[in-house]
Amino acid sequence: MSKLLQLKIVTPEKLILEELVEHVSIPTKEGEITILADHIPLIAPLSTGDIVAYVNGEHLPIAVVGGFVEIKTNEKGQTEVAILADFAEHVGDLSDEVIEKAKAKSEELRKLALNNEVVDFEHFESELERSLNRIKIADKWKNRKYRK
Amino acid sequence: MAGTKEIKQRIKSVKNTKKITKAMELVAASKMKRAISKAVSSRLYASYSWELLTSLSERLDETTSPFFKEVVGSKQKTLFVLITSNGGLCGAYNSQIIKKSISVLKQINQNEIDIISIGKKGDHAIRRTGGSVIASFLDLPDNSSLSDMLPLSKIILDEFKTGKYKKVYIAYTDFISALNQKPNVKQLLPITKQDIKELMGALGENKENIIIEKNKKQTPYIFEGDMNTIIESLAEKLVRMQIYHMILESSASEQSSRMMAMKNASEAAGEMIDSLTLMFNKARQASITQEISEISAGMASVN
Repeated sequence: MSKLLQLKIVTPEKLILEELVEHVSIPTKEGEITILADHIPLIAPLSTGDIVAYVNGEHLPIAVVGGFVEIKTNEKGQTEVAILADFAEHVGDLSDEVIEKAKAKSEELRKLALNNEVVDFEHFESELERSLNRIKIADKWKNRKYRK
Repeated sequence: MAGTKEIKQRIKSVKNTKKITKAMELVAASKMKRAISKAVSSRLYASYSWELLTSLSERLDETTSPFFKEVVGSKQKTLFVLITSNGGLCGAYNSQIIKKSISVLKQINQNEIDIISIGKKGDHAIRRTGGSVIASFLDLPDNSSLSDMLPLSKIILDEFKTGKYKKVYIAYTDFISALNQKPNVKQLLPITKQDIKELMGALGENKENIIIEKNKKQTPYIFEGDMNTIIESLAEKLVRMQIYHMILESSASEQSSRMMAMKNASEAAGEMIDSLTLMFNKARQASITQEISEISAGMASVN
């Protein structure tokens, strides 16, 4: 069996995932990268998309918006991948209901964004990005097999 | 002595008040728990981002990011952020933090301060003293998430980046325990290395802190993208995180002081009901005695 790496995904609100995985694909600002064990230490900013971890022959997708990834070797000699995401959610948590809500919300936000009187632009922008990402990632994984 | 009817009415109204204060106490207690658990779960992220920043810290001197630069010059103003609550009925919570802020503000020339207020109570107090409020956030939800903080942190960071302000202070209430909260004023920007340490002291009260110190041996990271942009956006996130954390602390403090205030009120109401009941019984007794004496006096006159 191949060497495993320690994957941790944290957001400001909570710890999303802490698990040993075989490899993990991460969307960074400069393109998607896949990390295997014994990767060299790296720091990279994240872009919007999905993180896909590979555990026991199963895919484990997580929708993510913005943040950082830090890769290093910890005291036990394991490769540790720490992902500091602004928002992150298990794709399995994105039920149809949530998707419908996200769709409605992104529509609503788009309309609001057109209205120049809305001062709260920053908030709307990030909410919009988050909603759109939810829809996109959920669509992508709709017909594929993955671990929830 | 007041009539029995009036006393009865008063007992009833005090009982109603007690019911309300009791309910508010319970609500505040559960809200406090939620705020605390949020603050705790945000610590992990904070300690990670701190770790990242320490790995970068040796290069901090090279960075041109305005967040780390001490600005010298007297032209710039100071930005002051005051966190208070929207609702009242929470004991000395608001008055403490307002008093503390005003005493700090007095040390700085009035014309050189701009204020951002969070919460109705602080906003009213500052406007009364004639401070220049550049923005007020009066409708942050009790149970706020990081995305609710975005407009607030955006305005602070943007204003600071323009170089208009030399320092940003933030006044919040430190949640020490359910019985003890301390008003506190802290420098938010520019970030100094000292500050980051203090922040960690506040955030990572657990042992993680020490572990991070030990791990300090530098790992030769490679960077994807520009170093400066990474440091800058990391600093931005850390500042945002710090603001979020302070709001959570403040909201935990608010709820716990409200809980205490309501608890005291319920107890006082209980005592009041007791003494009113005593008064009611005395009045009832007196009226019975009076009736009996009137009847017996009537009997005596008939005989």
